[in-house]
Amino acid sequence: MIKPEHPSFRADPASSKRIHVVQGEFAVTDDAEVMLGTILGSCVAACVRDPMAGVGGMNHFLLPGEKTDAPPAATPGSLRYGVQSMELLLNALYRMGARRERLEVKLFGGARVMGGLSDIGQQNAEFAERFLAAEGIRTLSGSLRGDQARRVQFWPVSGRVRQMALIDQSKQLFEAERARLAPVPAAADDGELELF
Amino acid sequence: MPAAAQIRVMVVDDQMTMRSLVRSGLQQLGFQDIVDSSDGEEALKQILSRPVHLVISDFNMPKLDGMGLLRALRSHGPTSKTAFIMLTGRADKELVQKAVQLGVNNYLVKPFTVQTLKDKIEAVFGKLT
Repeated sequence: MIKPEHPSFRADPASSKRIHVVQGEFAVTDDAEVMLGTILGSCVAACVRDPMAGVGGMNHFLLPGEKTDAPPAATPGSLRYGVQSMELLLNALYRMGARRERLEVKLFGGARVMGGLSDIGQQNAEFAERFLAAEGIRTLSGSLRGDQARRVQFWPVSGRVRQMALIDQSKQLFEAERARLAPVPAAADDGELELF
Repeated sequence: MPAAAQIRVMVVDDQMTMRSLVRSGLQQLGFQDIVDSSDGEEALKQILSRPVHLVISDFNMPKLDGMGLLRALRSHGPTSKTAFIMLTGRADKELVQKAVQLGVNNYLVKPFTVQTLKDKIEAVFGKLT
């Protein structure tokens, strides 16, 4: 069973068992045949699984977002922030039977963006490590930092991960990410509900 | 106008990172009396033993979730009027509507800014000093 937890969840049309997790999104599954894939520059993806429950998932975030002076959320921008993305991914897994104490995480991404900007990749990598340590969730392995983009493929139920360096595409990917890091316009309100 | 420093706040979230974020925001707004808990059950025990003026609580939590905590507070005389702001993701609109029926005072969409946190609290208590 594949569980799209976000409206922009996408299945690869070539195969219903391949899901591409794009920037600012996440997906969870309990289907052993499903592969979650993503491409990372300075972004970070957490590949999370509960081996006992047989469920797992992957997110893909652009910024740490752990400061309350961050720009206001705007749909679908809020999931670009790691703190929100991690919470929603973990909650989705808990709803599928995962338990925090059994979770295993592999972290990928956080490469250094070229050209004198602040090192967002480093900030993302540090955030992910700090978040998991603070929440007491076990990090098994992964591949963070460096200066090359990566393609990551994750089979959540088995925990298998494959990573490929994208040497020729790094510059292009970093530039695309930089464009997406532009401030998101503030939402007119916090949602459609008017309570007060 | 209520003074932030006089308002005792309970922050409830199973994720330590989110509790720290909320606490940090409250401190920037002048709140000093802040307690926290990682689940609704523990929060309820603490509130019953020492009441608070405001609860800021997540909904997805182990043991007693945010809805259960809200229901328990509203059904217990001494805590039935305790201000309650729920933390939610944008996808949780059904939960928000249920919480409104149970008497939630306001809601805060994650991630949020300090200004949004202030606005939500002031919508409940009036302008803070």
